[in-house]
Amino acid sequence: MMRIYRVAQREYLENVKTKGFWIGILLFPVMIWLMVEVPKFLEEKGIPTRHVAIVSRDAEAGELARQRLTLLNRQKVLQALQQHIAEATESQRKEMLEEQEIDAAALLDRLEEGLEQMSQGSAEINPFNPKQLVDIGDLIPDEYLLNDGQWLAMRNLLLNQLPKGSPEFVEPDPRFIEVGLLPGLTDMATDAEIETALRPYLRAEKLYPASGRNVDLFALVLIPENVLSEKEPIRFWSSNLADTDLLDAITDSLTDRVRQMEYDSRGISSSEVKEIAQIRVRSNNFNPNKQEGEEKVGIRDRIRQYAPVGFVYLLWIAIFTVAQMLLNNTIEEKSNRIIEVLLSSVTTNELLLGKVLGVAAVGVTMQLAWIGSMLGILRLKAGPGAEWVVDLLAAVVSPELLIGFLFYFVTGYLFYAFLFAGIGSICNTIKEAQNFMSPMMLILMVPLGTMVFIPNDPNGTIATVMSWVPPWTPFIMMNRMAASPPMGEIVGTGIMLLISVIFVFWMSAKIFRIGVLRTGQPPKFLELLGWLKSSRP
Amino acid sequence: MTTAIEMNHVVKTYGDFRAVDDVSFSVNEGTICGFLGPNGAGKTTSIRMILDILRPTSGSIEVLGHPVASQVRDRIGYLPEEKGLYKKMTATAVIAYFATLKGVPSSVAREKARELLDRYGLSAFKDHKCEALSKGMGQKVQVLASIAHDPDLVILDEPFSGLDPVNQEVMEEVIQDLKSRGKTVLFSTHVMSHAERICESIVVIAAGKMAFHGSVEEARNLLPSRVRVRGDDISDLVLRLPGVQSVKPSADGRADVLELHISDDTDPQLLLKQFFDSGKSLDTFEVVQPDLHEVFVHLVGEDAREAADR
Repeated sequence: MMRIYRVAQREYLENVKTKGFWIGILLFPVMIWLMVEVPKFLEEKGIPTRHVAIVSRDAEAGELARQRLTLLNRQKVLQALQQHIAEATESQRKEMLEEQEIDAAALLDRLEEGLEQMSQGSAEINPFNPKQLVDIGDLIPDEYLLNDGQWLAMRNLLLNQLPKGSPEFVEPDPRFIEVGLLPGLTDMATDAEIETALRPYLRAEKLYPASGRNVDLFALVLIPENVLSEKEPIRFWSSNLADTDLLDAITDSLTDRVRQMEYDSRGISSSEVKEIAQIRVRSNNFNPNKQEGEEKVGIRDRIRQYAPVGFVYLLWIAIFTVAQMLLNNTIEEKSNRIIEVLLSSVTTNELLLGKVLGVAAVGVTMQLAWIGSMLGILRLKAGPGAEWVVDLLAAVVSPELLIGFLFYFVTGYLFYAFLFAGIGSICNTIKEAQNFMSPMMLILMVPLGTMVFIPNDPNGTIATVMSWVPPWTPFIMMNRMAASPPMGEIVGTGIMLLISVIFVFWMSAKIFRIGVLRTGQPPKFLELLGWLKSSRP
Repeated sequence: MTTAIEMNHVVKTYGDFRAVDDVSFSVNEGTICGFLGPNGAGKTTSIRMILDILRPTSGSIEVLGHPVASQVRDRIGYLPEEKGLYKKMTATAVIAYFATLKGVPSSVAREKARELLDRYGLSAFKDHKCEALSKGMGQKVQVLASIAHDPDLVILDEPFSGLDPVNQEVMEEVIQDLKSRGKTVLFSTHVMSHAERICESIVVIAAGKMAFHGSVEEARNLLPSRVRVRGDDISDLVLRLPGVQSVKPSADGRADVLELHISDDTDPQLLLKQFFDSGKSLDTFEVVQPDLHEVFVHLVGEDAREAADR
């Protein structure tokens, strides 16, 4: 025992001293930080403001298109404002997680009420249910957003909700800005003239002069005269084919109008159509595994369902980092012939166990550091997104899941660690090891691939069958744990996994014993089988 | 006197290949034994079997009174033939680590490591990483690592290879120190001068088989004495002298000196008399004992050449 501990201790201390370990430890928080920050950044800065020239030969169509752009701009402001309020008021985010049902009608009633009060000069009463802040964006009817007076009132209403002392709201840049035609060009010019004149700007060969600044011209939209009556196609010029938001906005606005005209001409009330289109069948989700009276499924439950995926990732990463260390160390000891001195002091089993345990301790240290830094960053960068992860961890710390995870983590780790140490013992260089590693990597890729569909069908045939394949058992069973798989399967695969771990240990110990003293070419597969049958060298 | 190592008809085969073939010898406690043999003779395999890293195919090995070395492995120190250290560990840490594996408490091991480094002139390298040490330095560190736990039996596989003459002397000193403290040392080498200087007994194996086991003196007696002569016009005479088996130019490089190999029962004095009787004048006549080198070549020469050709 003492010798195993000594070997493990050295293995741990030496690995902890390496640069790789510290890079690994520091890289992860940086990645988490980026994961929190980058989407935010992209949302804010990712899609730049698009400058567009619009020439409409039909007054109504032009108006509709422009209205739609205004609408989208204001929705973006509203969204940013909601985000801002949510970040400033922590208590609300907690509740948002619990409730997901939104009563749109009640919300609108309260909104009207609030606006009414605003117009009377009192803004004391908060018309919104704070729980629903994040979701109101799409629920507010277009009319409210397009009416300048109401838009301002609503904006103020929301701003009033900001707690005292919270940072000031900075309105984001608009998504779309319409620019006028070039000086010397008027609406009277023909399509061809306009297109020719703007072509160099659309090709980004020149910057477009717009209200005192020079900007990139994103698109030119030419709306023909009879677009509404004859549905003649609009002419959309842009060198960016990927971003279709602008085009979609304009065609949608015109399509809506054309449809409305069609309803009218057929004597169908368009407002009724709209009303009908808003009718939705909603669902309340229940889980038979929960206590009576608490069967309703909330977001928290969904997180719980997907939490195991996070653990599968952790195990996977642990096996990967650790595999590398075990290989490197074993090969170092082997190629330096340190192994002979070691073997005069400890048995191969002691050496193998010590190495695997020492490296495991390194892995655990790394993962604890990761989890710690992740929690730290999420606390610091607290936002609506971050709460989810905190909740995810809370969900996971339920005892039966935790025990399962620990079991599969340990067995899964040991299974692969012994294998990798065995591989390391028959190779003299990392390069030789690569040949053996490729099939291992393929085996390891499989559970990663199944990670997404297993939670959708946790007790299905594929999941059940894969649970019985020892290299995959820890991953698949971990993934299935939240769905309460049959007890028989848990116990059965658990016992089989334990037997496999012992078998792999026995096998690796045998290979290790012969492999570590062998020099020259790595053995052929058949030779390895021979080693398994042989007794001690 | 008790024996530290006792090998009885030990055989180790790998498939059809007999790496060690019926080797028997014993090493007395508190003595230094040289383990000699050409490359590929089975020295390392024998040593690994003594250490219980490998198991013999047949035969038995008794180490420090126990049938298996692993039962007394804390009392054995081992320096393998191919030397290597953990590159990223400091000299002190490596020595201490190997000592702790032999059951020495960590704090004592570190203390001991520093003390040894000081004693054998490596104080300046205590905190150097092993990758920064020269080959010879590294080897010294490894030797110290093998004796840091104060073992009763020290087995050194080629301890002199790769060392400069000064450090070879230090190595001899280390071995003598061990002996003076009552420890047993078995070391393998193919440089005979070391064995000649410090060994009480030697074991010679060739192609896996025992070639000789006994004291250095006994080994020398395996070969007859030689006579070196120089004189005017004696080259025909020496061939006719009774008892002279062969005549060669002397191996010591002196010009015109002839070396006469004489049969066991020939008295050098009679030889000298015959020179006088023939009336030839000699300016050199010396009787030389064969050195271990010659004995070694005599014992294993053919096998070694064969092995080299294989």
